[in-house]
Amino acid sequence: MSEADMAVINPENMKSYIWLKTSDDSIQQVEQEIAMFCPMICQEVITKGMGSSKTYPIALPQRVTPAMLSLILDYCRFHQAPGRSNKERKYFDEKFIRMGTKRLCELTSAADSLQLKPLVDLTSRALARMIEGKTPEEIRDIFHLPDDLTEEEKLEPLKNITDDPRIRLLNRLYARKRKELKQKDKQTNVGTGEERVDDRSVDELLSFINGGNQGVKASKSKKKNKRKKDHQKIGSLNGVTKGIPNGVHSLCSDAASGKQSLLCGLTNNDRSNLPSSSIGLSSICTDIDILAPKTEFDDGDIDDGIDPEMKEKIDREVADFARRLNSDWPERMQEILCLDPDRRVMPVAADGNGIMRK
Amino acid sequence: MNEHGYWKAANMNHRGPLKIPSSKGMEHDVISNLPGHIMDKILSKLPIREAVRTSILSRKWRYKWITLPELVFDNHCTLVSSQDQIVIKNKLVSIIDHVLLLHIGPIHRFKLSHRDLLAVSDIDRWVLYLSRSMFKELILEIWKGQRYKLPSSLYSMQHLVHLELFNCFLNPPSTFSGFRCLKSLDLQHITMDQEGFENMIASCPQLERLTLMNFDGFSLLKVNAPKLQFFDTGGIFEDVLFLNTEKLAIASIGLYVNVVSDGYPINGSYTSNLARFCSSLPHVERLEVQNYFLKYLAIGNISGRIPSLCPDLCYLSIRINFIDSDENLAALNLLRSCPNLQELELLARPEDQGDITAVAIFFEEANQWDGRLTFLRHIKVSGISSAAQELDFINFLLSVTPSLERMTVKPASLDRGWELVKELLRFRRASVQAEVVFLDP
Repeated sequence: MSEADMAVINPENMKSYIWLKTSDDSIQQVEQEIAMFCPMICQEVITKGMGSSKTYPIALPQRVTPAMLSLILDYCRFHQAPGRSNKERKYFDEKFIRMGTKRLCELTSAADSLQLKPLVDLTSRALARMIEGKTPEEIRDIFHLPDDLTEEEKLEPLKNITDDPRIRLLNRLYARKRKELKQKDKQTNVGTGEERVDDRSVDELLSFINGGNQGVKASKSKKKNKRKKDHQKIGSLNGVTKGIPNGVHSLCSDAASGKQSLLCGLTNNDRSNLPSSSIGLSSICTDIDILAPKTEFDDGDIDDGIDPEMKEKIDREVADFARRLNSDWPERMQEILCLDPDRRVMPVAADGNGIMRK
Repeated sequence: MNEHGYWKAANMNHRGPLKIPSSKGMEHDVISNLPGHIMDKILSKLPIREAVRTSILSRKWRYKWITLPELVFDNHCTLVSSQDQIVIKNKLVSIIDHVLLLHIGPIHRFKLSHRDLLAVSDIDRWVLYLSRSMFKELILEIWKGQRYKLPSSLYSMQHLVHLELFNCFLNPPSTFSGFRCLKSLDLQHITMDQEGFENMIASCPQLERLTLMNFDGFSLLKVNAPKLQFFDTGGIFEDVLFLNTEKLAIASIGLYVNVVSDGYPINGSYTSNLARFCSSLPHVERLEVQNYFLKYLAIGNISGRIPSLCPDLCYLSIRINFIDSDENLAALNLLRSCPNLQELELLARPEDQGDITAVAIFFEEANQWDGRLTFLRHIKVSGISSAAQELDFINFLLSVTPSLERMTVKPASLDRGWELVKELLRFRRASVQAEVVFLDP
């Protein structure tokens, strides 16, 4: 006896059930009024007359796996039933979306392919809530995102549309920073020719960020001064580049995320060799704080033919500019972490008080 | 061979810990591979600041936010602790400039509503930029300072569906040919000249919703909108004129000045305002007569003549000065023209002045009427001070409502509460199941 015969014998069956085929080619029977809650299925039934028997099942989109279908049908079963109060529906929805992020994403995608708008709204709102107020590192953790942007890319300035001499200066300093990065990268590649594993523990790294000096002390105190200078140079460049008054940068500003992105830069094994590992786009604006005490340059560091008087003037402008930018944030200093040429970690001697040293 | 194989395995072992975390991460990274329109949906549920911040998450997220179809710049889009107006302004301007510069694809909705943003010329640039795309919704709210004069580029937005302006100055150019697709217009605290206003309304053929609050520059509300369903207004005007508004279902009209006592010219025509009003809104379902608008409707009211009917009206709310017999009469006539009313709200507007001698006319009128408000079930009366006119009106309502289920009476004060309750008890009720509920003020 074929399915069609069955349907003739038992007309209620034909009316109240619909045959659905999921992406793994399995076919299942679903109560019509529940399945029809999905506009995509409803459309197939009405316009194409599909789904009335096992031989003519409605082929669901690829994204609807059997597991997702069963979830979606649970949702439809609850919401298509009449007489539920708004409170009940809300409670159900809240419970319904309590699941892992991976599943939640798959559900969003499946619901979207069935054009089930209320469920797409519900799940995308839930996903948005997971992102809101989190630091980049936390978001990467939640969604298992690879941290595959190089620090240089995170630094990459977005377009500069204003023709402010100060911004031009900042960009010039930034360009030098990029060049330096490139050179350092080359050196690293030539020198070792193999990837290095960063095996420092997170706690160790944390102690740098939070505790400052009591972490690993520089072993060669002879070199210390020179190194300090180097770091200051890098620090000042970092600070300056970060001072670019960029709308998107400011959007990224988040006092809380600054520190987190310092962490993320460091725990990321692949990138930790770069001296700028402490900088993320998100930290850019918080790091503007650093700018103020670091705007002094050594003549030896910058030999671009700017005469001292001019340099002083520019310094003043940059510092002034930084102060104006800084006025948005509470006075707060952040330590920058850099790696010296020996790839040893040491804290940069930032004064940590945000006072101008002029 | 063997050795080579061993070496290979060892090497892989060595590299293992390096590679695995990233590949494992990719496997679980489902969100990054969601279709663009779903991603837009998720990101559009975040404040724009947070949405833009996602660009540093990973390579796939680099440019996810830039196709966001809705851009909302409100108080949450900046984290500014500064009190300095210039700092806030510069920051906000720079943010919006950059977001618009980096954005690609269609923008459907743009909302600018930052409490610290003044009417700056930077907005012109954004409006111009938006006017070049298939832009659908614009919301501009200037919460501080002077009115913002909209640039002419606004008037070329042919795809606008929703326009909302707060504290703006509109001056459509002579070439303005209307917003062909506009369905909803919300103008509050705006300045516009008479001709400009009339033109704008008349040249939006799809207009369904119109909100008009606290306007100046024009005093005749000429509303010519064949598809209008919702009209909400409150402000100072001399006259309101509806043309082609057969579809209007919900109307709320508040006149903020007392037409007579403030010396406004009384309409020269002999037709009553109420009659004209009722005939131009044949299908109104919900009507709110607010502030002094009843006073306007009372002008030219001729006793004894029933205005044309509003058969669809089921909800009516009237702000009324019970002492004023003209208003009482107008309210009575309005009630007579809505035979299918189900719900009525009467809000007393306490004022001293009123023609007490005219009370007799109201009685006469009311007694002459042999009609009934057959479907009226709920009546709310509030703010009354137990004056004779108020009690008369309540008495009248109880006697013409055979299906009344509930009447709530809430006086302005309890000074004469007892007397009011005694009177209410005495009134005969046409409905056997009616309950009269006395509420404390």
